[in-house]
Amino acid sequence: MLGGRTIRPIARGNSTPATAQSAPPVTSEKVLPSAHPATLRWSRPATFLYLAVPASIGALAVSDPGFSAAGLASYLPTATVDVSFSFLRMSAAYLLSLAFALSYGYYAAAHRTGERVMIPILDILQSVPILGFFPVVVLVLYNLQPSGFGPNLASVILIFTSMSWNMVFGVYESLKTVPSDLREAADTFGLRGWLRFRRLLFPSTVNRLVYNSVLSWTGGWFFLVEAEIFTTNGAALPGIGSFLSFAASGHNSEQFIAGLIVLVIVIALLDFLLWRPLGHWAERFRYDQAPSGEGEALPSGTSGRFRRAASYVTRGVRTGVTRLSTPLVQLAAITVRPGRRTSARRQAFIYHLSLGTILVLVWLMLIAIVVAVYTVFSGTITPPVRAQMLTLPLAVGFSIGRLVIAYIICLAIALPLAIVLARGPRARRVGLPIVEVVASFPATALFPVIIFELVPYISQEGAAILMLLTGMIWYLFFNLLSGIRSIPPDLEEAARSFGLKGRKLLRRVLVPGVFTALITGSITAFGGGWNTLIVAEYLNVGSGQSLSVLGVGQLIDIGYAESASGGYPLMVGALFALIATVITINELIWKPLYRRAVERYRYD
Amino acid sequence: MALIRVEHVDKSFASRHGSISIMQDISFEVKDSDFVAIVGPSGCGKSTLLRLIQGLDHPTAGTISFRDRKVDTVCSQMAMVFQSFALYPWLTVAQNVSFGLEALGWESGRIGSQVERYISVTGLDGFQEAYPRELSGGMRQRVGLARALAVEPAVLLMDEPFSALDPLTAESLREEVLQLWRDPQLPPDAVLLVSHNIEEAIQLADRVIVLSRRPGHILAQVEVDLPRPRDRKSAAFYDLTDRVYSLITEGGSAIASGHSSESAPSAG
Repeated sequence: MLGGRTIRPIARGNSTPATAQSAPPVTSEKVLPSAHPATLRWSRPATFLYLAVPASIGALAVSDPGFSAAGLASYLPTATVDVSFSFLRMSAAYLLSLAFALSYGYYAAAHRTGERVMIPILDILQSVPILGFFPVVVLVLYNLQPSGFGPNLASVILIFTSMSWNMVFGVYESLKTVPSDLREAADTFGLRGWLRFRRLLFPSTVNRLVYNSVLSWTGGWFFLVEAEIFTTNGAALPGIGSFLSFAASGHNSEQFIAGLIVLVIVIALLDFLLWRPLGHWAERFRYDQAPSGEGEALPSGTSGRFRRAASYVTRGVRTGVTRLSTPLVQLAAITVRPGRRTSARRQAFIYHLSLGTILVLVWLMLIAIVVAVYTVFSGTITPPVRAQMLTLPLAVGFSIGRLVIAYIICLAIALPLAIVLARGPRARRVGLPIVEVVASFPATALFPVIIFELVPYISQEGAAILMLLTGMIWYLFFNLLSGIRSIPPDLEEAARSFGLKGRKLLRRVLVPGVFTALITGSITAFGGGWNTLIVAEYLNVGSGQSLSVLGVGQLIDIGYAESASGGYPLMVGALFALIATVITINELIWKPLYRRAVERYRYD
Repeated sequence: MALIRVEHVDKSFASRHGSISIMQDISFEVKDSDFVAIVGPSGCGKSTLLRLIQGLDHPTAGTISFRDRKVDTVCSQMAMVFQSFALYPWLTVAQNVSFGLEALGWESGRIGSQVERYISVTGLDGFQEAYPRELSGGMRQRVGLARALAVEPAVLLMDEPFSALDPLTAESLREEVLQLWRDPQLPPDAVLLVSHNIEEAIQLADRVIVLSRRPGHILAQVEVDLPRPRDRKSAAFYDLTDRVYSLITEGGSAIASGHSSESAPSAG
């Protein structure tokens, strides 16, 4: 009886009576219909839209007198070749990101000391505008290895930087939030090592990894176009980005449209053949199970994909904001000693003041170091560059103003759209897939068109703001959408049963309900905005057509363009100014707002 | 011979306001083929006690031994059934059931037949390839039960296993657990059930250990020698329920003097 129990053969009739004899019939134990039909659900609106995009581009193009279908067709083969180059670059960057995310995330989640250093670093890296690094990375790698490998490596690294952060946060967060009962069950059965990884740890990251990958690829396409345009400063890097910018600078609408069509086809194919099935499969790795006895209609893995992805990114932001603070913040916190007889408000004021001072000092020090290093190694700073460096504070101000305007417009569009799509089931069924397709298309590919076609009507300033919009709005929209949809229905029902309607319902329930989502959406939207700024303020599309408005992004680009003639310190100085501004705004505005939102407006 | 021996166990947790004592001076024994239930108000440390017994956590003071050996790591001779089922959503029913066997390092052929056997014992035939989210609550807990039984534990630890189920499902599953326990061909030898449902405890167990409010100590060990199958409507059943109920509600006050394990007079 004790110790090594052997398996005894057992007659079926002996064991099953357990079920048969039980007094009440097991009526309530019906099996739910399978939530995972093996067939792939094609989302009809999305399919139509994918077809409609090239069609409408074609229709627009036909109105151009110099346009011929044959001309367009003649560009398709080159476009296809170029898009495959771009795809290879994206894949390389993605695999790199995946490996990085898994190792960095696992390590940070498993080692407490590592976590203390690694997560704040990640927080800073993800809040720093990726495009700001472009010129630096390109210059360094380009000078190392001017032909072939260097520029290619540069573009892969740049795409990698746009893909990796949210995936790392995804892995880290999901490992930190494995439900305790699953962890405990693994403990009680003694799962260790490889088996534990295979059965518990890896599966727990799959869901978020898949959804974050969708976002990463979307971001990757957005930056790929820029990465290839940037790196083509010298020798051309074959790819769809450089293809499009080349077409745009040559005013070649046939070539441009051929490039767009091929790009849309690739994105659509990836969506249908990779992300939709993967998203479907990833549903299995979610924890929330339908309450017993009720068949919860699971989202099909297609619609709601971006919404979920957005909420995952949001959670990444939350990790950065709430769990650990950056070293600078910790430094500032030293100045506030708890227990002294100062009011909380006063303490907060002192804290913010000291934090602001520290950040400004760090910024000034960095610039001073750059200037000093440059002066020592490469002679003096030329007068025109110095003059431009002096405009930096003004440029920062202009950039902030531009972002705020773009943000207000985004909010004015995204909030009503999100309310309509969140609250009407019909609107959601039709509208959401459309929005998702539009959001997955890299707006950067259309920037040359904005400059060529729209600048005469809306001025350079207007075009810059329009481009910013495209880089900001989706973060806001998808966050708001998930915020509205996560308001517990019973809260809304309770409000209705007490007769709250219209404005009061909005003020008492909806706005507080989405407040947290609004803040996280704003944080990520501004993040996207800072990135886009570097393109939106200065874009040279060739043939004398360029856009240039005073701003910190513009100064980075000018410094890069003139790097041969002493623009290097301007570029690095402006980059530091940008980074310092972003971190300052995050620490002083967004993080306190976010903490307050979480404290006051969460449901437990 | 005592299967499990719990001796003078204290458990406290560190918190911001100093250490909080969860339970104090808990001592009892579980013998071969015992069915013991632990009841008490919420927060009295019932579930913690179960985790201490399996070795998932360690007592602050006192010792817990299994077959006269001190439990200091997770004991593979016991298996836990969770209130929340704790099934892995990414594994099928069969994979969930084979979970513990894989950890024990069984070879796959043996795992396969063992899993089949316990899937049919728990009435899950035909659901091998289903995923947990496709099952009702009752079916899910059957998977939890099959997973625990598959490792053929000497002691089955059940942490509020029926609390998340609707009353009818819970009732039929209770009967099945009793059948399993009484079947000499099948594991487990003993069952240790944690519950906040007094009637459930009296219906199932031979002995009910009554814990006080936090910090939990043993108010009484009530022997249940009502004949099985037990009739919930009988006067004896009612008396016993009432007694345990008043033990808990009157808390330590009435029994405070005798809080070391006191065996109540036979109630049958």
